Amino acid sequence: MSNFFYEAATKILNSSITEWKENGGKIVGCTCSYVPGELLHAAGILPVRIRGIETTGTDIGDAYFGPFICSFPKCVLQLVGKGKYGFLDGTIITPGCDSMRRLDECWRKAGEDYEGIVPPYFYYFDVPHKTLPHGMKWFKEEIVRLVNSLEKHFGVKIEDDAVKDSIALYNKGRHLLKELEELRKDQDVRVTGTEAFAVTIAGTVLPREVFTTRLEQFIGEIKNREPVGRGKKRIMLIGSISDDIGLVELIEKNRDAIVVAENLCFGVRYEGHMISESGEPVDALAEGYLGGSICPRMFGKYKERLALLKQKIDEAAVDGVIMQNIRFCDLHGSEHGLFERDLEKAGIPCLKLEREYGPLTETGRIQMRIQAFLERISSK
Amino acid sequence: MKFAAGCDVGSLTSKAIIMDGNRIVGTGIVKSKAKPELSAEAAMNAALSNGGITMEQIGYCVGTGYGREKIPFVDETKSEIACHAKGARWLAPSVKTVIDIGGQDCKAIKLDNNGNVENFVTNDKCASGTGRFLEVMADVLDVDINELGNLSARARSPITFASTCTVWAQADVIKYINSGVPIEDIGAGINNAMAKRVAILASAVRAEKEVVMTGGVAKNRGVVSTLEKILGYRIRKIRRADPQLAGAIGAAVFSLEKLNGYQKEAV
Repeated sequence: MSNFFYEAATKILNSSITEWKENGGKIVGCTCSYVPGELLHAAGILPVRIRGIETTGTDIGDAYFGPFICSFPKCVLQLVGKGKYGFLDGTIITPGCDSMRRLDECWRKAGEDYEGIVPPYFYYFDVPHKTLPHGMKWFKEEIVRLVNSLEKHFGVKIEDDAVKDSIALYNKGRHLLKELEELRKDQDVRVTGTEAFAVTIAGTVLPREVFTTRLEQFIGEIKNREPVGRGKKRIMLIGSISDDIGLVELIEKNRDAIVVAENLCFGVRYEGHMISESGEPVDALAEGYLGGSICPRMFGKYKERLALLKQKIDEAAVDGVIMQNIRFCDLHGSEHGLFERDLEKAGIPCLKLEREYGPLTETGRIQMRIQAFLERISSK
Repeated sequence: MKFAAGCDVGSLTSKAIIMDGNRIVGTGIVKSKAKPELSAEAAMNAALSNGGITMEQIGYCVGTGYGREKIPFVDETKSEIACHAKGARWLAPSVKTVIDIGGQDCKAIKLDNNGNVENFVTNDKCASGTGRFLEVMADVLDVDINELGNLSARARSPITFASTCTVWAQADVIKYINSGVPIEDIGAGINNAMAKRVAILASAVRAEKEVVMTGGVAKNRGVVSTLEKILGYRIRKIRRADPQLAGAIGAAVFSLEKLNGYQKEAV
């Protein structure tokens, strides 16, 4: 695997962040994929997705969150409390779900006990749950508010033309990720799921120019490789927050398995659609980020989400779907029950895996279930 | 003459089975040690000496259990799910649902008509509703784990436990002991709580007759009889071998099939 992507995917403080800071650049962290990175990019700010990897425990997180809360925001707060996010000049919190919304208040509360952990810019970016006209209108207003707030705090001007340029650049990355996804559909797939996942995760933390250039090189390089998936069971990985390439590695440790598709909120789920490059940029961003959203927090879209999964399953000739979610994730946990019912009915084997976010514990049990699932697919 | 072997390195006990054709000729069961390779070796040595066989006579060996990747002498590994399904089918060919309760995990497996795994559920990292739960409770009650199941038959009004969380239930048990509740009623309550928990697993895979229980807890008569009441039908009794050995038997049957060149399913 490319060491460059691997480093970005497995280290919070990767070398491009260090470099960005050394050059005096500003960095703003975002907790969810609903924040249009283009706005920050147009302001000359580096947007990075806030993650919870590299935690070894959650004593700080546990002190502020209740026991029935997803372990992802706990791990984030743990890192924040340990000062690992000291490089952030700002944070934008989004109510991706209720647990993530709580990060806003817990982070601020922890800031009273741990000095200097609340960045000077701390912003709550609201996201409606519906894409009906009133929801869209609200989301556009949120985008305008965010632009005004960024301009005021960082003393910059976010011009429409600059945003349009950023959209074009981001679209280039989306196009490349789509191309990578297409290559994985091939029967002679030439890239492992672990590599592809590392690349998509790296895309959420790297400067976009760097990411796009490297991704273009990477795609060119893998086209000339030998196939890696012959005779293996083709797995799709879906579900709630997961940015741990260790999970994909665990699946692919089984010699007869390769992950050829995923639908996870890091990467292709949100990068799968283009943002319009014509018209008002605010409208285009709203339509793309909210209108194109296919995450289970959005109301009334189950059929569309199921249809998209089935389409991906067909196109990538998937043999089985692994549905992972973090414990206490109501959104994905309940959705997986429905997916399992509908996909199994359509003859697609499914495995539900509930796990904790953080250092991959329970790998023995998870691996046993994965192996049994692969055996089940093979016996079909 | 080559023998088929199966080795199941579990969290609490390690088991090995040696088969000559379709007959079990060697059985080994030992307490698991800190290193899976040592547990596997001890179980295998016990089975070899039990059958009067040497390692060189083993033609193929399948490993399973949490320590499966670390067993040095296996030719292949299989998941516990596959092995318990295979073992249960060897023990009771008409089986459709397997409920296995081991030392630290519990699983329910649904088989199709060909004996292939159709669906399965397992517990997560919590050990509630597993053999460990019963061990802890037996310890608190100061009864032998093998005696716990017999308490149910002698109970007059079993206690109801609100949860199978080992920590909470343990506190409850101590409370009842101190308030003078007969040990039989407490023991029956523990077995009932366990059975209810297992019934949830069974319903999760939509259990169908015949249901077979494997793993050490299958030997607890109190749990089995309550489970039968909840399910509304009898659980098939296993007589061909100790139900705790099902995983190792399944592994040995896989080996046997390998030696037979997969020509026919060994039943």
